[in-house]
Amino acid sequence: MPPAKTTLLQGTLDLIVLQLLQAEPTNGYDLTQRIQAISRDVLNVNAGSLYPALYRLEERGLVRAEWQSTDKGRRAKVYSLTAQGRKQLAGERDSWHRFSGALAAILRTG
Amino acid sequence: MLRRLRGWLRAILRHDAVEGEMQEEMRLHLERKIERLVARGLSPEAARAEAMREFGNLGRIQEEARDARGVQWIESALQDARYAVRGLRLKPGFAFAVIATLGLGVGANATMFGIVDRLMLRPPRYLIGPERSHHFYFGRSENGVERLGQAAQYRRYLDLAEGNSSMDVVAAFAPRQLAVGAGDIAEEAVFGAASASLWKLFDARPALGRFFTAEEDRDTDGARVAVLSYSYWQSRYGGSPDVLGSTIVIRPAQYTVIGVAPRGFAGVALETPDVFIPIAMAALDDFGPAWATARAEYSMTWLEIYGRRKPGVTLEAAEADLSAAYRASYRKQIEMEPGTAPIDLARPRVVLGSMLAERGPAPSANSRIALWLLGVTGIVLLIACANAGNLLLARALGRRREIAVRVALGVSRGRLLRQLLIESMVVAVLGTVAGLLLAQWGGQLLRTFLMNSVEWDSPIADRRVLLFTTVTAVFAGLLAGLAPMLQAGRSDQVAALKTGARDGEGRRSRIRAGLMLVQVALSVILLIGTGLFVRSFTRVGRVHLGYDAGRLLVVQVRLRNVELDSTQQVALRHALLDRARQNPAVEGATLAYSVPFSGTRSRRIFVAGVDSTSRLGEFIEQAASPGYFTTVGTRLLTGRDLLPEDGPGAPLVAVVSADMAKVLWPRQNAIGQCFRTRTDGAPCRTVVGIAENVKQASLGSEAAYTYYLPARQAGEFEGRLILRIRGEAESQREAIRRDLQGVMPSAGYLAVRPMARVVSQVTRSWRLGSTLFAVFGSLALVLASIGLYSVVAYSVAQRKHEVGVRIALGAKAGNVVGLVMRDGLRVVLAGVAVGAGVALAAGQWLSPLLFQVSPRDPWVFGAVTGVLVIVALIASGVPALRATRVDPATVLRED
Repeated sequence: MPPAKTTLLQGTLDLIVLQLLQAEPTNGYDLTQRIQAISRDVLNVNAGSLYPALYRLEERGLVRAEWQSTDKGRRAKVYSLTAQGRKQLAGERDSWHRFSGALAAILRTG
Repeated sequence: MLRRLRGWLRAILRHDAVEGEMQEEMRLHLERKIERLVARGLSPEAARAEAMREFGNLGRIQEEARDARGVQWIESALQDARYAVRGLRLKPGFAFAVIATLGLGVGANATMFGIVDRLMLRPPRYLIGPERSHHFYFGRSENGVERLGQAAQYRRYLDLAEGNSSMDVVAAFAPRQLAVGAGDIAEEAVFGAASASLWKLFDARPALGRFFTAEEDRDTDGARVAVLSYSYWQSRYGGSPDVLGSTIVIRPAQYTVIGVAPRGFAGVALETPDVFIPIAMAALDDFGPAWATARAEYSMTWLEIYGRRKPGVTLEAAEADLSAAYRASYRKQIEMEPGTAPIDLARPRVVLGSMLAERGPAPSANSRIALWLLGVTGIVLLIACANAGNLLLARALGRRREIAVRVALGVSRGRLLRQLLIESMVVAVLGTVAGLLLAQWGGQLLRTFLMNSVEWDSPIADRRVLLFTTVTAVFAGLLAGLAPMLQAGRSDQVAALKTGARDGEGRRSRIRAGLMLVQVALSVILLIGTGLFVRSFTRVGRVHLGYDAGRLLVVQVRLRNVELDSTQQVALRHALLDRARQNPAVEGATLAYSVPFSGTRSRRIFVAGVDSTSRLGEFIEQAASPGYFTTVGTRLLTGRDLLPEDGPGAPLVAVVSADMAKVLWPRQNAIGQCFRTRTDGAPCRTVVGIAENVKQASLGSEAAYTYYLPARQAGEFEGRLILRIRGEAESQREAIRRDLQGVMPSAGYLAVRPMARVVSQVTRSWRLGSTLFAVFGSLALVLASIGLYSVVAYSVAQRKHEVGVRIALGAKAGNVVGLVMRDGLRVVLAGVAVGAGVALAAGQWLSPLLFQVSPRDPWVFGAVTGVLVIVALIASGVPALRATRVDPATVLRED
């Protein structure tokens, strides 16, 4: 049995993608794997939502994509953050921290 | 923004490459997933299935991804457009009907817009500051009623130009018909006599040479120079640059060509003059010796004044300033002409109007007709939209199953609507092309008809018309596409799938019926308009003029600068009369002061026992030589004709019109009575004859008071010759002119006009109205009958099954026909009722344009109703008869 899946909060997928891409430029497939691994299988992002998100971010100029050959000689489209993406990420991270801190404080009152 | 634009561009230009990249990326993703699952121990097939499952609907992801890239709409739009074109190609008949329908509507509108735009919307080309530029109107009160006029004197122009502080530029302009060339080759050209300041109103550079200067525009020491219009330069000189410095003979002088105006430059006039000359020189040559006094006085009004306000000066301030200058000028006029009405009564003021005369304050009938026609073409467009909408709807209904299948396959409703929209847009675009072609050909005809001396751009080359046409077409496309979209947005797709071959059975589309009703109602309105105009026009044609316009030629002597004393003037006219009478084509010739509708003058008359004749109406004075009545074809009712013996020494006599005899001497014999003209103290003239009434001020039924004096008892006048031609006058015109020209002194020339043309100027608005209404009205009728036919034919096709069952159960042909026709007829009758109601209500606005026809003329209403019912019977009868031939066995087996 896989652990219980959590549905993604609206808008958090962008944040996750940006954060992971800041750590290291990655292709789409590896991104799905990495999300799963880091979240210890709690978050399962399927290709159906990842790619539209990537294209959306590319459209907004937050990430850029490049075709590269991997070590195994396989071609892959590798996404990396742009300067604007970095700025966006910093902003979104701050507001996420504020939000989750506030939410945690509220939940503690119970 | 830029990046997004680039993305779109890339999406369009490199559509396949981008799409390929996306698919490649997803394929790689899938591959690695499968590899990994295989590594975990799944069989390749199971791994593939698992990977696909996790991946979800690939097509949908790609679509979402495209959406994310923001290019989805372009892609699908292109796809839909291709799909639509393919659909149209498959049904050429349908495609032709829809495109032709829209094309007719759009083309008619493009044409009329082009005309209205030129008349009322578009400022003259090259004009600087159109909102600050004005045409001057002069208001003067007479008996407490203000009259606005545009005509002014040269002296007034100078007074206003010098006496104001609010205008940048004040310019004078007068269009003149002058003869160019000498002798037999003399021909009339349109001249723009313009002050040198006129050029300052425009930001125009000469195409060649230069414009004339203020120094050249002085009647004391100016220069005879001419600037050609671009089109005249092209047509007469082949656009040759050698034209500069050449001379052009403008009777009686020679002018030197110094420049050519830029292409499309028409100055302040709607009609492009052929040649521009300095107004002071034009006056000097045109008025001859009379100019020496006329230039300093206020006696001759012959020019128009235009000007541009200084920036920052409001309209009110400028009008106040110019009115003050006008009053100062008016005081000078009173000093010179003591008889002029005092300033407190006349209350002279200047009104600054639009540069476009048709914008008012005193527009001509042209603009009214053009606006009416724009309204009419608008209605035609609505009919076309309703019709195209109906056709599109019929097709959409026919495709309900196809649509239902697509919905079931996951096409979103939004996408479906978009596709319908794009389909109607494709149709609209094709319709626009058809419309522009139509406007190009048909519009030429209309424009020549309405205003033939205006230089028109081709509608395709005219940006404003093009823009208007595009907007109209998009609007038409949206409107036409609305009906199928409403239907698609509403219909139950699953039900459509289930109903199978009998789809839509028993469902009568309310939208279709509504569209049909609108079409019929609008057609009825147009046809009633047509009927009223045609009836007006036939009434106009049947008006008894009191003379034979078709047989008469009017000859006017234009002496230019040749100086003749009055004896010579008289001798010249007699020489012309003699020469004319010798011409075998001429049946009779007479001298007359004026001709109907042109140059008539009215006088005050005094009759013993009648208090004030002026309250009875106008009395038009005509002076004529013996033989006048037989020549023009006016019947003499009683008494005698004017005779050669009625000379200066003989007793003063006159012939009066029947109406005049009746109003002045009711219940008495007018013959033998006497009246005085001009002043109460004048000698009394005895009435010797009564002639039938003639129409010479208007065609209406109002009383016509005319009296005829023997030419030799009428004082000096420079009359016209009226010639009665054997056969039709128009064709003899040029031959007669050449013949008579031989009698003229060298510099003079003759203007010869057929009387019919003078009259046709008067009847023009009805002729135009009836012709154009007839064109558009029949267009509407054709569209509506096509529409009706398609609606009924379609519903027959839909109800084939039902009809089959009925026939199988023993229904007679008559029953089937009735069943099918009933619906169509019901809609038509409702449409006729609605249309007739609207026409009744709107009639009052039309009545000023009609001639002795009530806007509620029962004949017209009856005829239109009859025509529509007949059309409805035919349009629905044909498919109804076809329905009776339905073979029940075949139809029932179809399911």
